[in-house]
Amino acid sequence: MKTIFLVDDSATILLSISGVLTKAGYAVEKAPSALDALKKFQTGVKVDLLITDLNMPGMNGIDFIKEVRKLPAYRFLPILFLTTESQQSKKAEAKAAGASGWIVKPASAEELLNTIKLVIR
Amino acid sequence: MDEITSVFVTESREQIAALESALLQLENSPRDDDTLNAIFRSAHTIKGGAGVIECGYIVAFTHVVENLLDRLREHAINADADLIALLLGCADHIGNLLGVLESGAAGPDANLAADGDALLARLQRDWLSDEGSRAGLPSVAPVQLEASGGGAVESDCWHISVRFGADVLRNGMDPLSFLRYLGSIGHIVHLETLADAMPEAAEMDPETCYLGFEISFASGADKAAIERVFDFVRDECTLNILPPHSRLSDYIALINTLPEDSMRLGEILVRIGALTQGELEDGLRQQTAVPADEVESATAPAAAPQPIGEILVERKVVQSELVDAAIARQKQVTEKKAAEARLIRIQADKLDRLIDLVGELVIAGASVNLLAGRTGVGELIEATSLTGRLVESIRDAALQLRMVQIGETFNRFHRVVRDTSREMGKEIELSVSGGDTELDKSMVEKIGDPLMHLVRNAMDHGLELPAVREASGKPARGRLELNAFHDSGSIVIEVADDGAGLNRERILAKAVERGLVQPGQSLSDAEVYNLIFEPGFSTAEKVTNISGRGVGMDVVRRNIQGLRGSVDVSSEPGKGSRFAIRLPLTLAIIDGFLVGVGNAAYVIPLDSVVECIELGVDGSVRDYVNLRGEVLPLVRLRQLFGMAGEPPGRQNVVVVQYAGNKSGIVVDQLMGEFQTVIKPLGNLFRNIRGIGGSTILGSGEVALILDVQALVQRCASREAQRAEGADAGRALLAAAAT
Repeated sequence: MKTIFLVDDSATILLSISGVLTKAGYAVEKAPSALDALKKFQTGVKVDLLITDLNMPGMNGIDFIKEVRKLPAYRFLPILFLTTESQQSKKAEAKAAGASGWIVKPASAEELLNTIKLVIR
Repeated sequence: MDEITSVFVTESREQIAALESALLQLENSPRDDDTLNAIFRSAHTIKGGAGVIECGYIVAFTHVVENLLDRLREHAINADADLIALLLGCADHIGNLLGVLESGAAGPDANLAADGDALLARLQRDWLSDEGSRAGLPSVAPVQLEASGGGAVESDCWHISVRFGADVLRNGMDPLSFLRYLGSIGHIVHLETLADAMPEAAEMDPETCYLGFEISFASGADKAAIERVFDFVRDECTLNILPPHSRLSDYIALINTLPEDSMRLGEILVRIGALTQGELEDGLRQQTAVPADEVESATAPAAAPQPIGEILVERKVVQSELVDAAIARQKQVTEKKAAEARLIRIQADKLDRLIDLVGELVIAGASVNLLAGRTGVGELIEATSLTGRLVESIRDAALQLRMVQIGETFNRFHRVVRDTSREMGKEIELSVSGGDTELDKSMVEKIGDPLMHLVRNAMDHGLELPAVREASGKPARGRLELNAFHDSGSIVIEVADDGAGLNRERILAKAVERGLVQPGQSLSDAEVYNLIFEPGFSTAEKVTNISGRGVGMDVVRRNIQGLRGSVDVSSEPGKGSRFAIRLPLTLAIIDGFLVGVGNAAYVIPLDSVVECIELGVDGSVRDYVNLRGEVLPLVRLRQLFGMAGEPPGRQNVVVVQYAGNKSGIVVDQLMGEFQTVIKPLGNLFRNIRGIGGSTILGSGEVALILDVQALVQRCASREAQRAEGADAGRALLAAAAT
């Protein structure tokens, strides 16, 4: 089973996305902040895909992606970030930080799963 | 309400609180990026969540607010007092909309909708009017080839030509996954892999992607859908998509654009069926025949991708600077906010369950201790006492989990003080300290109203108008303090002002007028000041809409007593007053007084117990006794709870007090005080009057905890019934004295 790691400061988003993913047969790990997530990554959790919000209090998503990319085990980990149409400029910044792609919020379950299929089997 | 909606509502309320306090901060530092970002983020999170639960009316409203905040964040407009007031209004409106969502209504009613529209109209008119000119953010022009002259080729397949960027693998993308995904929206008729960019084995970096593909693709999907497949890599790869039956010149242009050798590419295109050999030769011949400038125009759109590399480099340079600056900035922010982020959200029910279990553990531990003591085995006693200590630590730690900081409650007052002081024309500065003091969550929820009352009271009655203050030699700006701290097992919350202070004479006069004290009675200052907590006492000369609406300080005291707390006031004329609320740290554990009736044990909360007396002969026939000249109504538990059996010869009375009223509870035995964990009653028993909860004794027996408030009120109403029609009070007293 593929494990997807979700990071978002919004409990609503965490709950809704993890619901869709669990139903689709993925194992889901969640963290409410980048720092929490990073701690888990530093202990070497098994992750097949990371989905993170960009705009979070504490460490923001871009720095978080950079930190994850620095960890040898996750150099090639697919990373998607959550964004909105109004944040076009963030895309380039996040890509430069090492993100693989993005999910535009709010996404339907189908859009979400399709995007995930783009990056993991 | 389903789980996700309730999570959304809770979360959004928190976001609104954060939004409000950030907006207030903005008043002092209107251009602070951190604050602006925090404000934007709050609105953004609410909108995002509302989108997820498909609550259209919240999305629509928040969207406009977010647009404005975005402009604010970009410093396109400045936050002045008007705008902040407007945004505070918007935050309130979002709060109201959440209320609508909670109530389960389909949408806001006409009034609320009109409020929202009015706010939006103001936002649009005053702050977003030139929004139209900003519409359409610059977006990266898609790399594509348009048909531009020459005959169409025969192939009815799409032709996709892609050269992946070197960093694709390093960015966590697998080129194969794109091809696989492409396969899900159509049929890959033919695919040719180009490894021309691959260097010598010695120089090859296994982490770099050197591959390109020429794909012949049959699909009913439109161009946008095919482009979308490559969305994630479009900026760093060279992507050309030719629709079926594209013009020959487009293919030729493509061949010329791509880095590989033209002849070889041509062959590949032929091989994958994009072009026939004839078409290829035709095309190449045409190209050489056409004058250079025409080639230029024919291939102009195709030439567009050429500078992409440069653009990319340029863009990357810009980004790296941006990113560096961002890192430096974010590092500071991260350090500052690290503490804030180290939180987990759990349902209160789970905590309650844990505390419940810990309560059981405490009780079970007590009985183990008891049994171990009986055996007289030293080692066993030692082991159990160690367990006992650990259990106590666990209990304390578990109770600690329910503790929350009072800061959030305090922060609400910034807004209240700001709005109210303007309304009253007073200048008031609120200073908050001890916001990190922790107390039980349920207590925090219930202390808000009494605290609000005290704050409004201080602003209305305590602090004077600026002119009055200056006349008495004080700074025009009044000072209001909220402070919290721990003090010997309880928490103290203070509301202090540097206003006029309480007027002893006026209070005394009023108290005499109301019959609360006898004229000529000598009272200490503290006693006089505490008269303001008596029911029906209000010294405000006029009723303002801020405070003094008749629901006076007695309600404040009653609410606080309901939390097993107390409130005191101290004051100095001309210097100000200080209200101190004292609360127990938790509602889950109480000091109880254990009594027995028949075979059953009951617990009376110790802080309501005044004294214990023996029931005299007169009390065995009447429902009241004479307690030092006062009528003390009695509650006979044996009678009240319908217990079988005769009372013993000697009965005791526990004198309890609640909100100034005393009653005597008649019991068989007094068994002393002990600390106990309150366990709520099941639903079935929740409505039983006189019982507030239960607890389990060390022996395993269940003891019911008496609800003193209900018992005292029961007595008071019984007395009132008797007093009907006659001056029964005096009659009772006379009767009791005989």
